[in-house]
Amino acid sequence: MALRAAVLRHIRVPVGTLTATGPKPLQWSLCSSLRFFSSHDDHLTKEEVIERVLSIVKSFPKVDPAQVTPDVHFQKDLGLDSLDNVEIVMALEEEFKLEIPDKEADKIDSCHLAIEYIYNHPLAG
Amino acid sequence: MSGVSTAAYVARRAAQKERVRILYRRALKDTLNWAVHRHLFYQDASDLREKFDANKHVEDIDTIDRMIAEGEATHNKWRHPDPYIVPWAPGGSKFTRNPTPPAGIEIVYDYGREDND
Repeated sequence: MALRAAVLRHIRVPVGTLTATGPKPLQWSLCSSLRFFSSHDDHLTKEEVIERVLSIVKSFPKVDPAQVTPDVHFQKDLGLDSLDNVEIVMALEEEFKLEIPDKEADKIDSCHLAIEYIYNHPLAG
Repeated sequence: MSGVSTAAYVARRAAQKERVRILYRRALKDTLNWAVHRHLFYQDASDLREKFDANKHVEDIDTIDRMIAEGEATHNKWRHPDPYIVPWAPGGSKFTRNPTPPAGIEIVYDYGREDND
Protein backbone atom coordinates (compact mmCIF):
# COMPACT_ATOMS: atom_id res chain seq x y z
CA MET A 1 0.00 0.00 0.00
CA ALA A 2 2.84 2.33 0.81
CA LEU A 3 4.41 1.63 -2.54
CA ARG A 4 1.14 2.27 -4.32
CA ALA A 5 0.66 5.56 -2.52
CA ALA A 6 4.25 6.57 -3.30
CA VAL A 7 3.79 5.80 -6.98
CA LEU A 8 0.47 7.55 -7.23
CA ARG A 9 1.87 10.66 -5.56
CA HIS A 10 4.36 11.18 -8.40
CA ILE A 11 2.20 10.21 -11.35
CA ARG A 12 0.12 12.77 -13.12
CA VAL A 13 -2.41 11.50 -15.55
CA PRO A 14 -3.15 13.99 -18.28
CA VAL A 15 -6.77 15.01 -18.35
CA GLY A 16 -7.09 15.62 -22.05
CA THR A 17 -7.27 12.01 -23.22
CA LEU A 18 -10.67 12.50 -24.78
CA THR A 19 -9.49 15.35 -26.95
CA ALA A 20 -6.66 13.19 -28.28
CA THR A 21 -9.14 11.13 -30.30
CA GLY A 22 -10.72 14.32 -31.51
CA PRO A 23 -14.39 14.96 -32.06
CA LYS A 24 -16.26 12.20 -33.82
CA PRO A 25 -16.62 12.77 -37.53
CA LEU A 26 -20.11 13.87 -38.31
CA GLN A 27 -22.11 10.82 -39.28
CA TRP A 28 -24.26 11.76 -42.23
CA SER A 29 -26.89 9.27 -41.21
CA LEU A 30 -29.67 11.39 -42.60
CA CYS A 31 -29.09 9.88 -46.03
CA SER A 32 -30.51 6.52 -45.08
CA SER A 33 -33.65 7.98 -43.60
CA LEU A 34 -34.24 10.64 -46.23
CA ARG A 35 -36.76 9.32 -48.70
CA PHE A 36 -38.92 10.82 -51.34
CA PHE A 37 -42.39 9.61 -50.63
CA SER A 38 -43.80 10.48 -54.03
CA SER A 39 -41.20 8.83 -56.15
CA HIS A 40 -40.88 5.29 -57.36
CA ASP A 41 -37.89 6.09 -59.52
CA ASP A 42 -35.12 5.36 -57.08
CA HIS A 43 -34.29 1.71 -56.65
CA LEU A 44 -33.63 0.61 -53.11
CA THR A 45 -30.27 -0.74 -52.13
CA LYS A 46 -30.07 -4.11 -50.49
CA GLU A 47 -28.72 -2.62 -47.26
CA GLU A 48 -31.60 -0.21 -47.02
CA VAL A 49 -34.14 -2.97 -47.62
CA ILE A 50 -32.53 -5.14 -44.94
CA GLU A 51 -32.38 -2.29 -42.45
CA ARG A 52 -36.00 -1.31 -42.92
CA VAL A 53 -37.32 -4.88 -42.92
CA LEU A 54 -35.44 -5.61 -39.71
CA SER A 55 -36.71 -2.47 -38.05
CA ILE A 56 -40.29 -3.49 -38.93
CA VAL A 57 -39.84 -6.97 -37.52
CA LYS A 58 -38.12 -5.66 -34.41
CA SER A 59 -40.91 -3.25 -33.67
CA PHE A 60 -43.53 -6.00 -33.77
CA PRO A 61 -44.82 -6.22 -30.18
CA LYS A 62 -44.45 -9.98 -29.71
CA VAL A 63 -40.90 -10.13 -31.04
CA ASP A 64 -37.74 -9.96 -28.96
CA PRO A 65 -35.61 -7.45 -30.93
CA ALA A 66 -32.38 -9.18 -29.94
CA GLN A 67 -33.31 -12.33 -31.85
CA VAL A 68 -33.99 -10.64 -35.18
CA THR A 69 -31.42 -11.32 -37.88
CA PRO A 70 -31.71 -11.07 -41.69
CA ASP A 71 -32.39 -14.79 -42.06
CA VAL A 72 -34.74 -15.44 -39.18
CA HIS A 73 -37.90 -17.46 -39.72
CA PHE A 74 -40.97 -15.78 -38.26
CA GLN A 75 -42.76 -18.83 -36.94
CA LYS A 76 -39.90 -21.25 -36.28
CA ASP A 77 -37.38 -18.83 -34.75
CA LEU A 78 -39.42 -15.98 -33.33
CA GLY A 79 -42.27 -18.05 -31.90
CA LEU A 80 -45.02 -16.24 -33.78
CA ASP A 81 -48.14 -17.86 -35.17
CA SER A 82 -49.55 -17.67 -38.69
CA LEU A 83 -51.76 -14.67 -37.98
CA ASP A 84 -48.79 -12.72 -36.61
CA ASN A 85 -47.06 -13.60 -39.85
CA VAL A 86 -49.95 -12.04 -41.76
CA GLU A 87 -49.68 -8.90 -39.65
CA ILE A 88 -45.95 -8.57 -40.25
CA VAL A 89 -46.39 -8.94 -44.00
CA MET A 90 -49.07 -6.28 -43.94
CA ALA A 91 -46.76 -3.95 -42.01
CA LEU A 92 -44.06 -4.58 -44.62
CA GLU A 93 -46.51 -3.75 -47.39
CA GLU A 94 -47.33 -0.45 -45.76
CA GLU A 95 -43.68 0.38 -45.15
CA PHE A 96 -42.64 -0.23 -48.74
CA LYS A 97 -45.84 1.02 -50.38
CA LEU A 98 -46.46 -2.38 -51.91
CA GLU A 99 -49.56 -4.29 -52.84
CA ILE A 100 -48.65 -7.96 -52.62
CA PRO A 101 -51.17 -10.46 -54.01
CA ASP A 102 -52.70 -12.65 -51.32
CA LYS A 103 -51.20 -15.90 -52.53
CA GLU A 104 -47.71 -14.43 -52.70
CA ALA A 105 -47.98 -12.69 -49.36
CA ASP A 106 -48.99 -16.02 -47.87
CA LYS A 107 -45.66 -17.50 -48.92
CA ILE A 108 -43.53 -14.86 -47.20
CA ASP A 109 -42.65 -16.47 -43.90
CA SER A 110 -39.11 -15.37 -43.12
CA CYS A 111 -36.97 -12.26 -43.09
CA HIS A 112 -34.81 -13.64 -45.87
CA LEU A 113 -37.78 -14.20 -48.16
CA ALA A 114 -39.26 -10.80 -47.36
CA ILE A 115 -35.97 -9.06 -48.11
CA GLU A 116 -35.58 -10.92 -51.41
CA TYR A 117 -39.17 -10.21 -52.45
CA ILE A 118 -39.01 -6.52 -51.63
CA TYR A 119 -35.57 -6.02 -53.11
CA ASN A 120 -36.63 -7.62 -56.38
CA HIS A 121 -39.92 -5.76 -56.56
CA PRO A 122 -39.65 -2.96 -59.11
CA LEU A 123 -42.04 -0.64 -57.31
CA ALA A 124 -40.85 -0.97 -53.73
CA GLY A 125 -40.22 2.49 -52.37
CA MET B 1 -55.83 -46.89 -47.01
CA SER B 2 -55.32 -45.05 -43.78
CA GLY B 3 -52.25 -43.46 -45.31
CA VAL B 4 -54.38 -42.06 -48.10
CA SER B 5 -57.00 -40.74 -45.72
CA THR B 6 -54.32 -39.21 -43.51
CA ALA B 7 -52.80 -37.49 -46.53
CA ALA B 8 -56.22 -36.24 -47.54
CA TYR B 9 -56.80 -34.96 -44.01
CA VAL B 10 -53.46 -33.15 -43.95
CA ALA B 11 -54.11 -31.61 -47.35
CA ARG B 12 -57.53 -30.44 -46.30
CA ARG B 13 -56.16 -28.95 -43.09
CA ALA B 14 -53.44 -27.13 -45.03
CA ALA B 15 -56.04 -25.71 -47.39
CA GLN B 16 -58.12 -24.59 -44.44
CA LYS B 17 -55.14 -22.90 -42.81
CA GLU B 18 -54.39 -21.04 -46.01
CA ARG B 19 -58.01 -19.93 -46.29
CA VAL B 20 -57.92 -18.63 -42.73
CA ARG B 21 -54.68 -16.74 -43.32
CA ILE B 22 -56.02 -15.10 -46.45
CA LEU B 23 -59.33 -14.33 -44.79
CA TYR B 24 -57.50 -12.72 -41.88
CA ARG B 25 -55.35 -10.74 -44.26
CA ARG B 26 -58.31 -9.41 -46.19
CA ALA B 27 -60.26 -8.69 -43.04
CA LEU B 28 -57.31 -6.84 -41.53
CA LYS B 29 -56.91 -4.71 -44.62
CA ASP B 30 -60.61 -4.01 -44.62
CA THR B 31 -60.43 -3.01 -40.96
CA LEU B 32 -57.84 -0.43 -41.95
CA ASN B 33 -60.14 0.77 -44.72
CA TRP B 34 -63.05 1.23 -42.36
CA ALA B 35 -61.05 2.91 -39.60
CA VAL B 36 -60.74 6.61 -40.26
CA HIS B 37 -57.80 7.01 -37.88
CA ARG B 38 -54.88 4.86 -36.89
CA HIS B 39 -55.75 4.85 -33.22
CA LEU B 40 -59.20 3.50 -34.09
CA PHE B 41 -57.65 0.84 -36.28
CA TYR B 42 -55.54 -0.55 -33.46
CA GLN B 43 -58.58 -1.30 -31.31
CA ASP B 44 -60.50 -2.77 -34.27
CA ALA B 45 -57.57 -4.93 -35.30
CA SER B 46 -57.21 -6.21 -31.78
CA ASP B 47 -60.93 -7.10 -31.73
CA LEU B 48 -60.57 -8.90 -35.05
CA ARG B 49 -57.63 -10.86 -33.75
CA GLU B 50 -59.63 -11.88 -30.70
CA LYS B 51 -62.42 -13.17 -32.94
CA PHE B 52 -59.94 -15.37 -34.79
CA ASP B 53 -58.16 -16.49 -31.64
CA ALA B 54 -61.43 -17.48 -29.97
CA ASN B 55 -61.77 -20.44 -32.38
CA LYS B 56 -58.11 -21.32 -32.43
CA HIS B 57 -58.51 -24.76 -30.84
CA VAL B 58 -61.45 -26.06 -32.84
CA GLU B 59 -60.53 -29.55 -34.05
CA ASP B 60 -63.57 -30.81 -35.97
CA ILE B 61 -62.80 -30.37 -39.65
CA ASP B 62 -66.37 -29.80 -40.79
CA THR B 63 -66.97 -27.24 -38.08
CA ILE B 64 -63.87 -25.40 -39.26
CA ASP B 65 -65.14 -25.40 -42.83
CA ARG B 66 -68.47 -24.00 -41.70
CA MET B 67 -66.78 -21.32 -39.60
CA ILE B 68 -64.52 -20.24 -42.46
CA ALA B 69 -67.52 -20.02 -44.76
CA GLU B 70 -69.34 -17.90 -42.19
CA GLY B 71 -66.33 -15.66 -41.80
CA GLU B 72 -65.96 -15.19 -45.53
CA ALA B 73 -69.67 -14.41 -45.86
CA THR B 74 -69.43 -11.82 -43.09
CA HIS B 75 -66.34 -10.31 -44.68
CA ASN B 76 -68.06 -10.10 -48.06
CA LYS B 77 -71.07 -8.47 -46.52
CA TRP B 78 -69.04 -5.76 -44.77
CA ARG B 79 -66.44 -5.20 -47.43
CA HIS B 80 -65.47 -1.58 -47.94
CA PRO B 81 -66.94 -0.11 -51.13
CA ASP B 82 -63.95 2.14 -51.78
CA PRO B 83 -60.86 0.48 -50.32
CA TYR B 84 -57.40 1.99 -50.27
CA ILE B 85 -55.36 0.77 -53.23
CA VAL B 86 -51.65 1.45 -53.61
CA PRO B 87 -51.40 4.04 -56.43
CA TRP B 88 -49.56 1.92 -58.99
CA ALA B 89 -51.67 -1.20 -58.43
CA PRO B 90 -54.69 -2.02 -60.63
CA GLY B 91 -57.47 0.30 -59.56
CA GLY B 92 -55.05 2.77 -57.99
CA SER B 93 -54.85 6.42 -58.92
CA LYS B 94 -51.54 6.09 -60.80
CA PHE B 95 -52.40 2.83 -62.56
CA THR B 96 -51.45 3.05 -66.29
CA ARG B 97 -50.77 6.78 -65.87
CA ASN B 98 -47.41 6.77 -67.60
CA PRO B 99 -45.08 9.76 -67.66
CA THR B 100 -44.52 11.49 -70.96
CA PRO B 101 -41.59 10.01 -72.88
CA PRO B 102 -38.34 11.98 -72.65
CA ALA B 103 -37.61 14.59 -75.30
CA GLY B 104 -35.91 13.18 -78.37
CA ILE B 105 -38.02 10.05 -78.51
CA GLU B 106 -40.54 10.27 -81.29
CA ILE B 107 -43.43 7.98 -82.02
CA VAL B 108 -44.09 7.50 -85.72
CA TYR B 109 -47.71 6.70 -86.37
CA ASP B 110 -47.47 4.92 -89.68
CA TYR B 111 -49.83 2.17 -88.62
CA GLY B 112 -47.55 -0.64 -89.74
CA ARG B 113 -46.85 0.68 -93.20
CA GLU B 114 -43.29 0.43 -94.40
CA ASP B 115 -41.38 3.34 -95.92
CA ASN B 116 -40.89 1.69 -99.28
CA ASP B 117 -44.50 1.15 -100.31
